[in-house]
Amino acid sequence: MAHAVEPTPHAEEEYTTTGLNHRKLLMWVFLGSDCMFFGALIATYMVYRGQSLNGPYPIDIIDVPLTTISTFVLLCSSFSMVQALSATNRNDQKGIRIWLMTTAILGSIFIGFQIFEFTTFYKEGLTLGVNLFGATFFTLTGLHGAHVTLGIVWLLVMFVIALKGRLGPSTSLDVEILGLYWHFVDIVWIVIFTLLYLIGGFDVGPVPPSGG
Amino acid sequence: MSSSHQEGQQGHHPTFKQYVLVAAILFAITIVEFILIWPRAGIVESLGYSKLPVLAILSAVKFAIVIAFYMHLKFDHSLFTWVFLAGLFLAFGVGVSLLSLFVSLSGEPRAYALERAIPYDKHAAEQARETAKEAPKEVLIPTLMPTEPPTVATPGEVVSETPAEATAMPTEPPAQPSGLDGQAIFSGAGGCAACHTVEGISAGVVGPDLTHMGTEAATRKPGMPAEDYIFESIRDPQAFVATGVDRAFPGIMTAAITSGLSDEEVQALVDFLLAQK
Repeated sequence: MAHAVEPTPHAEEEYTTTGLNHRKLLMWVFLGSDCMFFGALIATYMVYRGQSLNGPYPIDIIDVPLTTISTFVLLCSSFSMVQALSATNRNDQKGIRIWLMTTAILGSIFIGFQIFEFTTFYKEGLTLGVNLFGATFFTLTGLHGAHVTLGIVWLLVMFVIALKGRLGPSTSLDVEILGLYWHFVDIVWIVIFTLLYLIGGFDVGPVPPSGG
Repeated sequence: MSSSHQEGQQGHHPTFKQYVLVAAILFAITIVEFILIWPRAGIVESLGYSKLPVLAILSAVKFAIVIAFYMHLKFDHSLFTWVFLAGLFLAFGVGVSLLSLFVSLSGEPRAYALERAIPYDKHAAEQARETAKEAPKEVLIPTLMPTEPPTVATPGEVVSETPAEATAMPTEPPAQPSGLDGQAIFSGAGGCAACHTVEGISAGVVGPDLTHMGTEAATRKPGMPAEDYIFESIRDPQAFVATGVDRAFPGIMTAAITSGLSDEEVQALVDFLLAQK
């Protein structure tokens, strides 16, 4: 392969047998394993979908329009994340700071929506232990929220590094790896939003339609 | 793929305009998805299609666009793609296997769920929570008594029973008539019919035949009346296991199986079984 013999553009990049940066490869391996992590949780939700024996059922509490808005917010944050990387490659110091902060703020808004949603659900009687829906829903969306929260912390750390002027074309890989993680959290939400809200959000529970 | 990340980032990354276009496409797909599912529109259903495959395809497209453009996988080394796809395919395989093992892919509720599920009334549940919040604790204690050790009860809290009666509660039927339909519990919420036969009602073969329980119960446990014996056998099945009775799987009937039933429901079952002469 041509990659192995080509000189690396960045001084700090070491020689590797694949010709690929190990940190970046590690991130992709991690994302592959995180696919399995969320795959298991999503499969658990789908297996127990519609098997709860008592309410609240999804249709009683899921607010699809509200979550559509928070989905838009998360999509926006993915856009600002690629802008942050683009600014880093251009060595646009002001751009790096603005776009990293924008991404962190948009992520925080998403988490704000989730906190509001969880609080509302709890007040309306859906807890982690009340039924299968509550258990699988909170486990899945809660762990996704934990991923987003971790991403926000990471973004803020990068923002501080950017304030010190240490980000630029030579360290763009740092921003790129953060971006990979952030976009991954976004695509996991695309799947969760479709399955739990668009498809599963109107489930009425395992009650016979006749009402008898 | 001939292009490599390490050949330099600038040349292979999309431009600002292309990123905006990608974002616009992602937005548009999300809006389309929302319009498709919002019940007031009901476009997909009106065309006679199931919304599930349509949404699955649209989301898969979004998923692919983010990976290919935002995560630069389209412009990057193919090893990254394969490492990621390996995890993705395994996850997908786990999901499909689990679903096909345990439920139909349409997500229809299983028979037991259909039989036992309780409809949810938002308004009633809200009121129940309100009353539970407002009610003074003394009112709740008598209903908790049967499961609490007598040492917990202080003289002031005991309303209708002495501590001695409270300890005897788990094996003693409650005094008041229940008014519940024992046969409905037997073949419905109680789940009894799955394992026990009562001729003309059920055909379970796992546990003992209960067709003539009303006459047999009095002879089972020496010194125990029929009604008390049946009550004990439901509430605490392993307290006394009758000999000389056919059962396919001895030892599986435990108190845990019936712990979901209230004493009133168990009493209704006792009344029902006493009538099976």
